[in-house]
Amino acid sequence: MTNMNLYSPGDKVFVYLCMFLISVFALSTLYPFIYIAAISLSTGFEARAGNVVLTPVDTTLAAYEYVVAQREFWVSYRNTFIYTIGGTITSLLFIIPGAYALSRPHLYGRRFWNLMVAFTMWFNAGLIPFFLNMRDLGLLDSYIGIMLGFAINGFNVILLRNFFEAIPQSFEEAARMDGANEFQVLWKVYMPLSKPAIATVTLFCVVGRWNGFFWAMVLLQDGEKIPLQVYLRQVIAQLSDDEEFTATLLDQAYSVETVTAAIIVASIIPVLIFYPFIQKYFNKGIMLGGVKE
Amino acid sequence: MSDASHIKPATKTAPISRGARIVDVLKRDWQLYVMLLPTIIWLLLFLYKPMYGLQIAFKDYSVFRGIANSPWVGFEHFETLFNNDQFIRAIRNTVVISFWSLLIGFPVPILLALLFNEVLNQKFKKTTQTIVYLPHFISSVIIAGIVIAAFAPSAGIVNTAIRALGGDAIYFLTKPEWFRPIFIGTGIWQEAGFQSIVYLAAIAGVSPTLYESAVVDGASRWQMMWKITIPSILPTIIIMLIIRIGNILEVSFEMIILLYQPATYETADVVNTFIYRQGLQGGQYDLAAAAGLFNAVMAFTLVMAANALSKRYSRTSLW
Amino acid sequence: MSGVQLDGIIKRYGAVQVVHGVDLNVAEKEFVVLVGPSGCGKSTTLRMIAGLEEISDGEVTIDGRMVNRVAPKDRDVAMVFQNYALYPHLNVADNIAFGLRIRRESKEVIASSIDEVAGILGLTDYLDRRPADLSGGQRQRVAMGRAIVRRPKVFLFDEPLSNLDAKLRTQMRAEIKRLHNRLGVTSIYVTHDQVEAMTLADRIVVMHDGRIEQVGTPMELFMNPVNTFVASFLGSPPMNQVTAKVEKVGSDFVGVFAGNRLPLARLGDLEARVGQDVVVGIRPEYVTPATDGVKDQVRIELDLVETLGSEALLHAMLADAPFVIKADTTTAASKLSDVTGFTIAPELIRIFDGETDLALAGQDRPA
Repeated sequence: MTNMNLYSPGDKVFVYLCMFLISVFALSTLYPFIYIAAISLSTGFEARAGNVVLTPVDTTLAAYEYVVAQREFWVSYRNTFIYTIGGTITSLLFIIPGAYALSRPHLYGRRFWNLMVAFTMWFNAGLIPFFLNMRDLGLLDSYIGIMLGFAINGFNVILLRNFFEAIPQSFEEAARMDGANEFQVLWKVYMPLSKPAIATVTLFCVVGRWNGFFWAMVLLQDGEKIPLQVYLRQVIAQLSDDEEFTATLLDQAYSVETVTAAIIVASIIPVLIFYPFIQKYFNKGIMLGGVKE
Repeated sequence: MSDASHIKPATKTAPISRGARIVDVLKRDWQLYVMLLPTIIWLLLFLYKPMYGLQIAFKDYSVFRGIANSPWVGFEHFETLFNNDQFIRAIRNTVVISFWSLLIGFPVPILLALLFNEVLNQKFKKTTQTIVYLPHFISSVIIAGIVIAAFAPSAGIVNTAIRALGGDAIYFLTKPEWFRPIFIGTGIWQEAGFQSIVYLAAIAGVSPTLYESAVVDGASRWQMMWKITIPSILPTIIIMLIIRIGNILEVSFEMIILLYQPATYETADVVNTFIYRQGLQGGQYDLAAAAGLFNAVMAFTLVMAANALSKRYSRTSLW
Repeated sequence: MSGVQLDGIIKRYGAVQVVHGVDLNVAEKEFVVLVGPSGCGKSTTLRMIAGLEEISDGEVTIDGRMVNRVAPKDRDVAMVFQNYALYPHLNVADNIAFGLRIRRESKEVIASSIDEVAGILGLTDYLDRRPADLSGGQRQRVAMGRAIVRRPKVFLFDEPLSNLDAKLRTQMRAEIKRLHNRLGVTSIYVTHDQVEAMTLADRIVVMHDGRIEQVGTPMELFMNPVNTFVASFLGSPPMNQVTAKVEKVGSDFVGVFAGNRLPLARLGDLEARVGQDVVVGIRPEYVTPATDGVKDQVRIELDLVETLGSEALLHAMLADAPFVIKADTTTAASKLSDVTGFTIAPELIRIFDGETDLALAGQDRPA
């Protein structure tokens, strides 16, 4: 049934109640974003006084003007794009061929290789050995370290492998009889057939990279290499302690609160721009990665 | 025993030696191995080599001697840890925070999915789904930034509201008793919507004829939810529950690092944040590695148990 | 001679053997159908010819060359798969051209090959379409086009019609046969459908449990099945089988069962079996229904009449076993429900050993 004409009055009330509850949840999801946007557009004085509730009070772009004048902001923004694009490409270069090989039933030692991937999802050495390893490999404070060090995630490999496995074997066999080698089978047949799965994995990589914070904070000391998230963290943590900065505030239209809010808004905007594209695929993706062997 | 029993029965076909077989396979499938090799090398280099490095948990590690040449100290670090009140506290906090997250957070996405299922207006459904999924895609630094702003003592909206209602401002983020509610609430706010997708998918798999026959039988929507929808998605619910229990030691410590401060360590410090402070900030790599090893072994045991349980329950492995 | 020879082909999966030494010679331009119930090893055999399965033992020779260790692409064979394996992201022309592109043929060769194949298969108007926009029959044609375009020495078909509905299957069956007549390429075709086997094959190979039961032309197999398995597998409805005891009356033999006496042909072999049980095979098409009053009829208990139009199936019980008669509706439509028994000429009865299920010697009829 796609409309409620045939519903009993009781059922109609029930459905409206459901819609009401959903609306409450959705609005409480949305509100913090609206709140932060409103702060970013208010004057420092009003924000500090706690007068901003829903809409900007005494609207000003002062906080944004301050933010875009910071060189570090642009450097970190650029770095985030480098890590996101470079890291995602690196991940796909590993994951796609790897998952394809693991999906082939005739791969010798297949069970062993698959176990080797799955085991990393159950057991990992932990923060310290990973960090020491990165240091020993000379990958501290390095773009390559961030892009390469997090290239593979067992979940993504298995997601893609499962998708490849679900493609009827006869596609590979037909291509092989036509004379295709394994690379051609992957490139010309399996990859075009797996667009939704590859899009999903790409999406997971992009989101993970864009949001990546902890290891970037730990592995990168050089301010020229840190991504946006680390920069934002530093702003939140340091701005209020920075006497020089606080001293300049008295006669300014911005404040610690509005500047932080402005950086938050600035780093959400790209996510919002790509969100429709993201949405198209993650629904499918979560199904693919769902509970199945 | 007669001598004859020592003679192996002759195999019917000429046996092919293992070596010859591998050469054969490599000849046929070398391209597959070329595809697989980067992944294997990466796993060895970035995930398995650190497992070798875990031995520093049993060593007096010094940066200058390196992993292999540092002297063994046996279980010294573990003894130190279990005599360390902070570590015991971290374990307790991990379990308590996870337990409450699970108890409060687990039903929310199920409820959301059930609510979404009742909505017939596709436009409303799509819009609200889009909204509730969004926080999942936002970095924890930003989420933490919003939380800090909202709960700030003077400027934050929460205290503005408390003041408006005649109360006194609360310094939320410095109060140990407020840390867990804020952390758990943030987690639900961020993930519940996205987690509902799994249940929505399960609901989508329920045959429409079940509902149609219920309509013919005169069931109300409420009855259908209880008699059809919930029983149909029960296997998914149980499997998700098992997974969550298996991952109970996996607290999102990134968010904790962003939200806690020394004043709230009492309720906020979990094993991974303890490791982070001792090891990465304090330089006690060996001690922190021991704590990490303890955590990893416990987590591994839990995950394996959960997998075995779900195998028994669903006859399909989670992996 | 671009035929195919199988020499003691064996397929093992670990300790389990699924094909037990298959010998077969397929002559050049011949159309051979492998038929049998599911799990009989027919598809595995085909896939070993294609090179998609390793051959555990024995030899496969194509066009005089032993190909056991030759990659599928170098065997000069083309295969049509059950699910067609059409690439959904490519249009019809690109699907057909896929193999040629992989083999780096020149643009002109590819273009003219596509045109030619599309012409043969009537796909010229659909070259720009994606598989999703085609009907089942058109997809089937594209799958064949992909095989034809490479001009292989051998065509392999793996149940190519089983995804089609009944009407389309009949139509495509005829098209495959016409195509074979026109191109004259050696073809090996796997199916579980005996009608497809009968209509398409120059020779049929009946397989069962990983072994060949019988090889022969469709009519040879229909008239002279070597055992009860082949007898019951080919023909629709299948051959009725009744256990009877052999008795000798004067110089004639009769089969006795459930109070009936059925005259049998004078086979030399029967002499030794007097007093023993044999299996009497009676094709539903060969019997003449009898009503009350007809002499020497074998009595049956009529249970149900299914009219199919030009003919009718009479379901009856005989000696506590189901017995089916195929009757003409043109003459006696109204009387079918009055049928009380049947008569049959002794030479149309096929007699099998009661224990080994093998046909007795000396009763083959010219096919």
